[in-house]
Parts: sequence; C-alpha cells; structure tokens
Amino acid sequence: MRKYIALLAGVAILFTACNNNDEPGNIISDPGSLNLVFENTVDGTPLAMAPVTYTNSSNETYTINELKYIISNITLIKTDNTEYIYPVENSYFLINEDGSKTANLSDIPADTYKGIKFGFGVDPTKYPIESGTLNFIPLAEEAGMLWTWSAGYKFLKFEGDFTDATNPDDVTPFLYHVGSHGANLDNYKEVTLTLNEFQISGENTMSKTIQFDVAKIFDSVHTLSLEEKNEIMVDPENAPKIAENTSTAFSIIE
Amino acid sequence: MKIAYYFILILFCWSCSSDASDGDATTPTDDDAMTVTNPLLDFTVPSNFPDATYSIAQNPPTEKGFELGKKLFYDGQLASDGVVSCGFCHIQSFSFTHHTHITSHGVDGQIGTRNAQPLHNLAFMNEFTWDGAATFLDTQPIIPITAEVEMNETVSNVLSKLSADDDYPTLFAEAFGSEGVSADRMFKALSQFMVMMVSANSKYDKWERGEAVTFTDQEHAGRAVFNTKCASCHAGTLQTDQSYRNNGLPIDPVYNDIGRERVTGLSTDNRKFKVPSLRNIEITFPYMHDGRLGTLEDVLDFYTDGMVDSPTLDDQFRRPDGTFGLDISPEEKVQLIAFLKTLTDNDFIEDRRFAEF
Ligand code: HEC
Ligand code: HEC
Repeated sequence: MRKYIALLAGVAILFTACNNNDEPGNIISDPGSLNLVFENTVDGTPLAMAPVTYTNSSNETYTINELKYIISNITLIKTDNTEYIYPVENSYFLINEDGSKTANLSDIPADTYKGIKFGFGVDPTKYPIESGTLNFIPLAEEAGMLWTWSAGYKFLKFEGDFTDATNPDDVTPFLYHVGSHGANLDNYKEVTLTLNEFQISGENTMSKTIQFDVAKIFDSVHTLSLEEKNEIMVDPENAPKIAENTSTAFSIIE
Repeated sequence: MKIAYYFILILFCWSCSSDASDGDATTPTDDDAMTVTNPLLDFTVPSNFPDATYSIAQNPPTEKGFELGKKLFYDGQLASDGVVSCGFCHIQSFSFTHHTHITSHGVDGQIGTRNAQPLHNLAFMNEFTWDGAATFLDTQPIIPITAEVEMNETVSNVLSKLSADDDYPTLFAEAFGSEGVSADRMFKALSQFMVMMVSANSKYDKWERGEAVTFTDQEHAGRAVFNTKCASCHAGTLQTDQSYRNNGLPIDPVYNDIGRERVTGLSTDNRKFKVPSLRNIEITFPYMHDGRLGTLEDVLDFYTDGMVDSPTLDDQFRRPDGTFGLDISPEEKVQLIAFLKTLTDNDFIEDRRFAEF
C-alpha cells in the first residue's frame, strides 16, 4: 500500500513538474549545464589521424585510424566535498575522434564545484540493472563498441598501423580492444580530476576541456610494445595494463 | 506476508507535450489520462530452491511486461529474415531447446557451433551461455540478435522495426507506464518473460519438498549413484555448481571450440564449459555444448569410456591407473537414467503462460 501511495505521489510530481516552468519566483538559482569536451592529444599536441605518424617509447612509429572510448558514471565534487552523482542512465558517453567528443550534462544543481569523477568504460556493478543503462547499447553497437558475442562493451577501440625502427617498410596493423572479460576480469577504471573552483548555475553553460593523451595508452604505468603484441583483445595479461595506462591519460586543461 | 499491490500506470505524456507546437492532426484530442492496470506477477522462489540471482526488485515482472516479453520472444521481427524468433530455437515442449538440429540453425539456415540451451530457472543462474559469455540475463539476447548464424540483426534495427509496428508502441507504453520503445525496455520485457520460466514441479521437486510422491527403488538407487558420482559438479537442486569444467569431450576439429577461454583469455580455461543444470534432461537432447550425444545412454557411456585427456581435464575424472572417466556399472547406468527422468517437469513444458499459441 505504501508503494502504491508513493507511486501516485511520483506521478503527481511528474504532473506538476510539467507546469513548474510557468511558476515565477524560484528560491535558488536554476540548475545549469556543463559540457565536458574531450580533446585527444599525443604528447600534448592535438591528435591527427593517419597518415600523421607518432612514435612510442618502444621506438615504434604508428598512425591512428580509429580512436573511441566510453565514459560513464559522472560525479561532480562540490567545494564542501559532497558529491553530485549525475543520473547514471544519462551518464554514458561515447567519445569518438571521428565524431562527438563532448559529454553534455544538463540539470546540474547550482553550486560551486571543484572536481569531477568519471568512469573509463562501463562499471559492471551498475550495468545493466540500473534503469536506462541498456539504452546505450544501440549507440555502442553502431559505433562498433559492443562485443556482440559476449554482450559486453568495448571500453576502448584503438586501431592503426605501425612500423618498428628496424623494419621501416614493414607496415603492420595494430588493434587494441579493451573491455571487461565477462565476470572474470573487470577493466573498468575510475578517474578523478581536480579543477579550479567553478560555478554551475542556470545563467550560463560551463565548458571544461579534458585532455586525453593517446601516448599514455602505450607508455604510462606499463610500457606496451606493438612489435611484441599488435592485437590485444581478450587478453588477461595485457588488457588490464592498457586499461590502467588509459586511466592515467586524462587531465584537465585550464 | 504477501503484499499484493498494483501499479497504476498513467500515460501522461500528452499532457506534458501539449505546449509543443506539433500541430499533428493525429494528436489525441482526449487529454484525459488513460489508466491501465498492470498487476505485478507473483514470482515465488520454490521452497527447495536457492535464492534468485536475478534482481527481481529492479525489474519486477508485471502482467503487461511479461506479455510484451512473450510477444518479442516469439516474434521473427527480431531477426533479419523476419522468421527466426527466439522461440524458433527455444521450443517449449523440449524445455525451450531445439531438437531437430544438433547445433542451432539460424537465419538462412546458417549453422551455429553450439547446441541451443534449455531456458528454465534462469533467474537462478549467475552467468549465461555455455561459456558464461553473458554476465546478465538482460543483455544475453544481444548475442542471438546480432550473431550472424542466429538472428543476424542489429539491436538498433530491431528497435526501428518495433517503433514502426502497429502494436508495439502501445504494448511498451502499457508495460512501462509511458510512451517509448527503447532497448532498455525491450531487454527488460524479455527478461520478465524468461525470469518467470521457473521449472520446479518435477517428481524430484515434489520428493524434495516432501509432497505426496514416492521414488521407485531404481530412482532411489539412481539418486544415490548420482550423489556420489555426479553431484560434485551437478550440485544442488539445480544440478549445477555453475562452474566451468572440462569433462573430457574429445575436441571437435570442425568447431575447435575453446570454451570458457574465449571469455577469459586464460589457457587454463581451455575447453571448459559451464556445468549444465540437468533439469528436464530427458527432453533436452541432444547433449553437450555441441549436441554431439543423442541419448542419456550415450552420455553415460561417454562418462565411462569416451573421455580423452587434455591439460584442463577435471581431476575428478583421472583414475589412479592413469586412465580417465567415471566408474559406473551397467546396472548403475539404468538406475541413473531412472533418476534423471524424475527431473522432467511436465507442468512446465505444458504451462500455457509460456506457450506460443
Ligand atoms: C539460432 C538459434 C537461436 C536463436 C534464434 C536464439 N537462441 Fe538462445 N541460444 C542458442 C544457443 C546455441 C545458445 C547457447 C549459446 C552459447 O553457448 O554460445 C543459446 C543460449 C541462450 C540463453 C542462455 C541460457 C543459459 O542457460 O545460459 C538464453 C537466455 C537465450 N539463449 C535466450 C534467447 C533469446 C531471448 C533469444 C531471442 C532474442 C534467443 N535466445 C534466440 C540458440 C538460439
Ligand atoms: C567434473 C565435473 C562433472 C562431473 C563429475 C559430471 N559432469 Fe556431467 N557435465 C559436466 C560438464 C562441464 C558438462 C558440459 C560439457 C560440455 O558440454 O562441454 C556436463 C554435461 C553433462 C550432460 C549434458 C547436459 C546437456 O544439457 O547437454 C549430462 C546429461 C551430464 N553431464 C550428466 C552427468 C552425470 C549423470 C554424471 C555422473 C555420472 C556427471 N554428469 C558427472 C561436468 C561434470
């Protein structure tokens, strides 16, 4: 019975919510919007796709044909260290070098914030049971970010060609597809970034640039050589290294 | 105490969008909220069962959700050829498996590499498919929908077909309380249908619950053999400890199925498959992940004489003398089969709620 009443109340709120915008005299500032713009770079310079070449620390020269990754579970940290958890069902974003690189967040409570937390990939504890997260599937599917054979997400899709220093004419494709391995291995990573204090309010849309340093995929906590392994997908040894490296690739530009 | 309550689902969307400037002539003129009652279905865990693993609270089956899930399950629109529905490979009278083919057949008669699994008691499983590739029941249907050898479709395309359909938009709204055909709702409706498929009324269940049935001497003897020789893997009421193991099947060079290794990438998981529940086993032939064994006699002959060695072969099958297999006498085989047949649940396979027609 209690649930029944709660539901009716919920419906009632929905009805009034529809009319809310007509009502004058709001007490505090309206919620605001925040655009997170992801800027893919290599060692600090904006990324360019093939034929532009880059070199990793293993002295391998590579070009990039595809770079996509999934961002999720966005949380904003207020100056008093309390957190605003962005609605999970709306917090899944595909960042595609050849497509959208922005996560548009709206309806954020007006406040002063100083940090942001987000997930690289898809959190296995939140997926897919929490309402709405399954709605990311068609988009991920169209972008080739779904391992359809296992009904799991690819967190990172990074592909291109490379040559090593000793064999400059021998161009070989490389492919990194990283996701979780069923319930066996979780490659989801949480990233926390600290920002200068900023204000969210209904008056203007805030924009923040998050740099993603592609070079770190190869060289960060771990060093990955393409010559050693140029195809990494369900690889319990290397996939976690890539996930760990990737989680260090994000930084704030202010 | 059982709480019976109702969702009052109110389609309120028009009242919200009435200020929008769509002068569509077909916009309903009646602004009154339309009310549909959508009772929750009674999902009860049988008293001899373990707790459900599926989060019923997050996706409680309702009458309309179940009906929608059932329609989707039997609808060829989920496949690229408009014909191969889930029910094409999962046939109720065989406890939702497929008989006429050893491995499954999909769109354009394409042949899969694995034997369609029965669908029953899914609400109690941790992972799905023979290698546990799917970690959630809600997402499992992505696999058949998109597999070339199964339904050969895309989720996006299925959603466009459903949105353009005459009936689905209304059915989605009735099931979920507001307008909208979405992936989330489609998968949840399918889960609501599948979660309700509880098979718990076999002779064995009744015996376990102390209801008025008696096991024959053979059935009793078979149960005792089962408990000593099989129940270490086929454990508990559902006859599975839900682990992945190599039971010594010779590798089939055509499929070269690496089993659980596909999911984990670990060579220690090579050729391991999920220990299957043996419920309704009498009617879910052919047996094993690739359906290579036709009868229960074949299965038991395999367990005694058909195994081959490989690095991941389960230790339980290694005999002290260096050979492999289980020691089961011909008499024990007859007893075992008698016991296995007590796992058949005719109420389930005849349950009209799940029937296509
Ligand atoms: C072409 C035949 C075919 C079709 C069509 C098909 N399936 Fe299956 N199903 C299979 C096979 C084969 C397996 C085992 C797959 C594996 O192990 O890789 C399976 C496994 C499953 C499982 C896992 C059962 C368990 O115990 O782990 C579920 C759930 C399932 N199917 C549901 C569905 C649903 C829902 C649909 C429709 C969207 C569907 N299937 C369509 C053949 C099919
Ligand atoms: C060490 C663990 C283990 C033991 C012991 C074991 N099994 Fe199995 N059983 C499995 C596994 C794993 C499979 C699936 C193998 C596959 O398909 O590759 C299986 C498959 C089966 C199947 C086929 C089920 C289907 O749906 O196709 C039957 C029937 C079966 N076992 C019966 C028995 C009986 C009866 C015994 C005892 C005499 C027994 N098993 C002992 C692990 C075991």
